[in-house]
Amino acid sequence: MAATSNADNQSQAYLPDFCAAATILVIVLIAELVAIVLTLAGHGVPGTFLTELAKMSMYMQWLALLGAALLCRSRPWLETFDSTRAFTIAFFMLIVLCLLMAEITWQATSKYGMSVIIDDSHSGFVLRTFAVSSIVIALTMRYLYVASEWRRSIVLEAQSRISALQALIRPHFLFNSMNTIASLTRTNPKQAEEAVEDLADLLRANLGEPKQRTTLKQELEIAAIYQRIEKLRLGDRLSVRWDIAELPMRALIPSLTIQPLLENAIYHGIELLPEGGEVLVSGRRDGDNLRIEISNPVVPGEQSKKEGNNMAMSNIKQRYELAYGGRAAVNVESGTNEFRVLLTFPYEVGIA
Amino acid sequence: MKVLIVDDETPARNRLRQLLEDDGDHSVVGEAGNGVQALEVAAETSPDVVLLDIRMPGLSGIEVAHHLNTLKVPPAIIFTTAYDEYAIEAFETSAIGYVLKPVRRERLVKALQQAARVSNRSIDQVASKSELTGPRQHVCARVQDQLKLIAVDDVIRFHADQKYVRVHHSGGEHLIDESLKALEIEFAEQFVRIHRGALVSIAHIESIGRVADGQMLVVLRNTPEDADGLIISRRHLADVKRRLKGA
Repeated sequence: MAATSNADNQSQAYLPDFCAAATILVIVLIAELVAIVLTLAGHGVPGTFLTELAKMSMYMQWLALLGAALLCRSRPWLETFDSTRAFTIAFFMLIVLCLLMAEITWQATSKYGMSVIIDDSHSGFVLRTFAVSSIVIALTMRYLYVASEWRRSIVLEAQSRISALQALIRPHFLFNSMNTIASLTRTNPKQAEEAVEDLADLLRANLGEPKQRTTLKQELEIAAIYQRIEKLRLGDRLSVRWDIAELPMRALIPSLTIQPLLENAIYHGIELLPEGGEVLVSGRRDGDNLRIEISNPVVPGEQSKKEGNNMAMSNIKQRYELAYGGRAAVNVESGTNEFRVLLTFPYEVGIA
Repeated sequence: MKVLIVDDETPARNRLRQLLEDDGDHSVVGEAGNGVQALEVAAETSPDVVLLDIRMPGLSGIEVAHHLNTLKVPPAIIFTTAYDEYAIEAFETSAIGYVLKPVRRERLVKALQQAARVSNRSIDQVASKSELTGPRQHVCARVQDQLKLIAVDDVIRFHADQKYVRVHHSGGEHLIDESLKALEIEFAEQFVRIHRGALVSIAHIESIGRVADGQMLVVLRNTPEDADGLIISRRHLADVKRRLKGA
């Protein structure tokens, strides 16, 4: 999905910093706890607990610190993947490291006649190391993964709150509308009155606690109000075709995501065309998904320097990502003569 | 004072007209809904002041101001804008008249009292700050008392001609009152200097080649009068070659 890449870049790193002293301390502690558990659960020949613990600790710390060093070095590379893949790769890297170390330990102790340290067969030792390390690493990784996902969702939610605030109507639109109303108060008081009412409704929708989702009916109503105000200003240059009869009006949609797209279409498209043009808003149901498309003509060869556009777009992408995870898509097609945005999201109903 | 109102939005034009009628000291000599129309009406009615919206389709207000300056007696210009914080900063520093929409009568009257001719340099200053940056799409020539717009895409070359610059374009030749140096900077993306006195459109270059005495020539497309090619000075040769490769 297009939106994920964007959101990932902005969320903080999901793997902890394995080079940091604090993380290493935690790792050493975990390794030591595991060593104690294993020793406690061991054969328990009386009077040998401390010796056994010492041997076990040395082996555990070896593995733990080497593992930390490995992840410390490979973290920048791992972070280039998405979080699930990074954790999986890290897991297998650590397992391989443990197996390698088990083999080296075995070879070293048998070669230098210290095999008394390990009272087990070759394969038994390697297998035990493999089993124990798999379980411990899996648990630790799972914990880190859940913690990072949790952090990520907090970041995303904070971002979407900010985005919702940024979605506020452009000052340009507000001042132009007021100018239009000031003009209409004399030439056409009735129209001026309606425009004030529309503007008030639009502001009310933009103010207040940002809602995550609203019904399509409400969302399209806001967009229609917006269109009415712009129509007063732009006259015949603006026309909007609504091809939305197929859409289920009680479906949920992230709030204030169609109006800003309509605003973009007018601000970057219609307004810059001397003859104006037609914005097409079309929607249909596609199995379990809804697809809404907003397209507008643009001045040929004028796609550059669209900063405002990008901001609104990345903000909408973020909010779809937060609301639907990977189940929604925001696709943008920027052609020579046309600009097109396609929203695809699951058809869901419920409490807005 | 004779005032010309230029804005692409009808209600915005009506509003300015109402305010000027209220004030009574000024007469509206014309209205225009786009840049090209503005230049035509300005040439016909020779207003003292032009109230000029910045954000318009086609020719932007900034571009229109540039062209108005080529009139024999350039009018004073007051820009109108709804919101563009950067441009407003530039207005303040360059002392260009402007009014913000929604327009207040007192503010408009004051701006009219102070209205003054605006130099091209201060317009550029505003353009560089505003979101409407980038080179103009037209240059403007004065033919008798009419303004003629020439699309930059149609221009084949600019040639220094004493105090003026001669524009060779697909529709003929015209003199414009601009400096070659300024044109070179503004249209750096589309044009390359081939010698001290000429800029040629990169898109119109067909080939470059050497002639008998070792000099290099540039041959332009669809230009019977330049069929023999134009000489590239030694100093600019490397640059021309580099630009052609890049294109």
